[in-house]
Amino acid sequence: MPEGVVAVITAFPYLVQGSLVTVAVVLGAMVSGLVLGVLLAVGQVYGQLWVRLLVRVYVWFFRGVPLLVLLFLFYFGLFSVLDINLSAFTVAIIVLGLISAAYQSQIFRGAILSLPDGQFKAARALGMSDLKAISFVILPQALRFSIPGWSNEYSIVLKDSAVVFALGVAEIMARTHFVATRTYQYLPLYLAAGFLYLVLTFVGVKALRMLEDKVRIPGYSRPGVG
Amino acid sequence: METLLFFQQEVIPAFLKGLRVSILLILPSAVIGLVIGILTGALRAYGNRGVRLVADVYVTLFRGIPLVVQLFMWYFGLPYLNIYLNPFAASVIGFSLCSGAYHSEYVRGAFLSIKRGQLSAALALGFTKLQMVTTILLPQGFRRALPGCGNELIYLVKYSSLAYMITCIELTGEAKILASMTFRYTEIFFAVGLVYLVLITIASWLLQLVEDRFTVPGFEHHKL
Amino acid sequence: MADECILKVENIKKAFGKRQVLKGVSLSIRKGELKVLMGPSGAGKSTLLQCINFLVTPDEGEVWLEGSHINRARKHDLYAYRQQVGMIFQDFNLFDHLSALDNIEIGLARVKGLDKKAARERAMVELERVGLSDHAHHYPAQLSGGQKQRVSIARALAMDPKVMLLDEPTSALDPELIGEVLAVIRNLVANGMTMIMATHQIGFSRALADEIIFMEDGQVVEQGPPVKMFSDAVCERTRAFCAKISELYGEAF
Repeated sequence: MPEGVVAVITAFPYLVQGSLVTVAVVLGAMVSGLVLGVLLAVGQVYGQLWVRLLVRVYVWFFRGVPLLVLLFLFYFGLFSVLDINLSAFTVAIIVLGLISAAYQSQIFRGAILSLPDGQFKAARALGMSDLKAISFVILPQALRFSIPGWSNEYSIVLKDSAVVFALGVAEIMARTHFVATRTYQYLPLYLAAGFLYLVLTFVGVKALRMLEDKVRIPGYSRPGVG
Repeated sequence: METLLFFQQEVIPAFLKGLRVSILLILPSAVIGLVIGILTGALRAYGNRGVRLVADVYVTLFRGIPLVVQLFMWYFGLPYLNIYLNPFAASVIGFSLCSGAYHSEYVRGAFLSIKRGQLSAALALGFTKLQMVTTILLPQGFRRALPGCGNELIYLVKYSSLAYMITCIELTGEAKILASMTFRYTEIFFAVGLVYLVLITIASWLLQLVEDRFTVPGFEHHKL
Repeated sequence: MADECILKVENIKKAFGKRQVLKGVSLSIRKGELKVLMGPSGAGKSTLLQCINFLVTPDEGEVWLEGSHINRARKHDLYAYRQQVGMIFQDFNLFDHLSALDNIEIGLARVKGLDKKAARERAMVELERVGLSDHAHHYPAQLSGGQKQRVSIARALAMDPKVMLLDEPTSALDPELIGEVLAVIRNLVANGMTMIMATHQIGFSRALADEIIFMEDGQVVEQGPPVKMFSDAVCERTRAFCAKISELYGEAF
């Protein structure tokens, strides 16, 4: 038992460095997922038929194929075939980002659809083009209402980030396993890893809740009310 | 083209072998996970403080720690306590406990959303506690928990692929092995992806059928 | 020159699915006039107003503003046209994420392209004109219905429109708030704004309108000056409707 504690304490700095890699992967994935997700959502709500179909196929594919399969497909398959040389870290962010975009697009789509359609009408009545109406009236509101869903997505992406260990990215899981195989202190070390993930989840969710309070519109908690 | 066709002679048997293992993993995990979820959800909704605390800790831990870490703990970690599980058993235990925690969230939410008034009314009419539970509580709880639990089962189909990481060779494992031998990563993983897509689509469709079969006016709020 | 026609609308037809909501409506309005659309629900008043600024695309029909034909196919022309036609909605439709002042400012800054300072100053002027400068930094959720509608009028006026379209501006308001909005609209009339308004406010219309247009079932049934329409209406239907409305709503002021 004491060797377990010793092993954890000795390895802890190494594991915490892994947390930085994990956080980098998660942030990279969520930000790229956000940008792509907004585009997909706007396309699905306001686009022409072919755009809507394309988005639905994209969402169906990236929500249906398991993460591990996509990681292997992109890392060993596609990028190899196309002769693009990317690090496992980059591929991890790309794949997690593409998947997150699929889920985020549905969160944003729900938020956009929950706005009263008088908002868009009033914008057009002032003479705004659709692009301006979406950018200055629809999205500022929809994005605010998406924060709870986004917070949920964060904890999911955080947990999925452990899978990229399969590609050799030196995040928490990879480092934990590395140390464990050398010290044989598997259980204590995995418990420590679990603890790190819990801390990261808690901190992230707390931060997003603070963000939600900061950008809150006074008096307005739900569209269609007030 | 013909190499591809000849190739299907190798790919399909491997996939079928892996698929069999996947299904053997998914079915028990789904059932056990659901049972754990329903029990825990009920305890968290109606249990006393002590029971609720234990259940809440279980759920927080198993929803907060990545599934991969949990699987590694069952397979690599338990030997530390002199318990040795084979990859298959470790996978089923891991999947069951993890999905059970998610199921319990939906079940708890479903039970809590049923107005207490209805239960009181049933008792006032002379129902026994058991009758109230089986004829009033469970039918409504089932309908409200169905979308969430159904989705969780669908996720299970996807997450079963992680069994590969603790050396349980199911569909994804077979694909990886075959691809490493033949270097045809793109085709094989694309094909595996499609197989999962088909499985997921069938599962979603079945879920929709069940939802429609049990739909009652006023409960369609989940449809968008 | 006060006689020239500012807005002309010809033969507007619109169907939603199988229902023919507008069956060929034409009207024209001169500078400074107030024309009121009256009629039962479903008559097509709201649809007509929204066809005039093409929020709803008419199946047939043409629109001329100050003599020039509006080509709705050309996006750029359409946006420019909408800047010159102000619209007031029954549900106010203020932008919920912006304060009262910002609601007025956004059109000036983002559509008309004014710089921030100029936009803000002009917005403040318009807000004062409707008597709400104290509420500049309040959000729509913090304003009463009457205040919201006044802000929406200020928002439309800031664009310097040539014509204003008002779609039942007081129908969603509690009775005690109707007065403040009608006061603002009365000011607009006094200052010579050209307006087409759909409303049930008989007293207001009788006092200020230049012409009442009575619609039913997607067509104009009768039109004429208020004096004629309310006391001497030719059509039975018009008389019945006006009587009913007077009975329900009474005099507004």
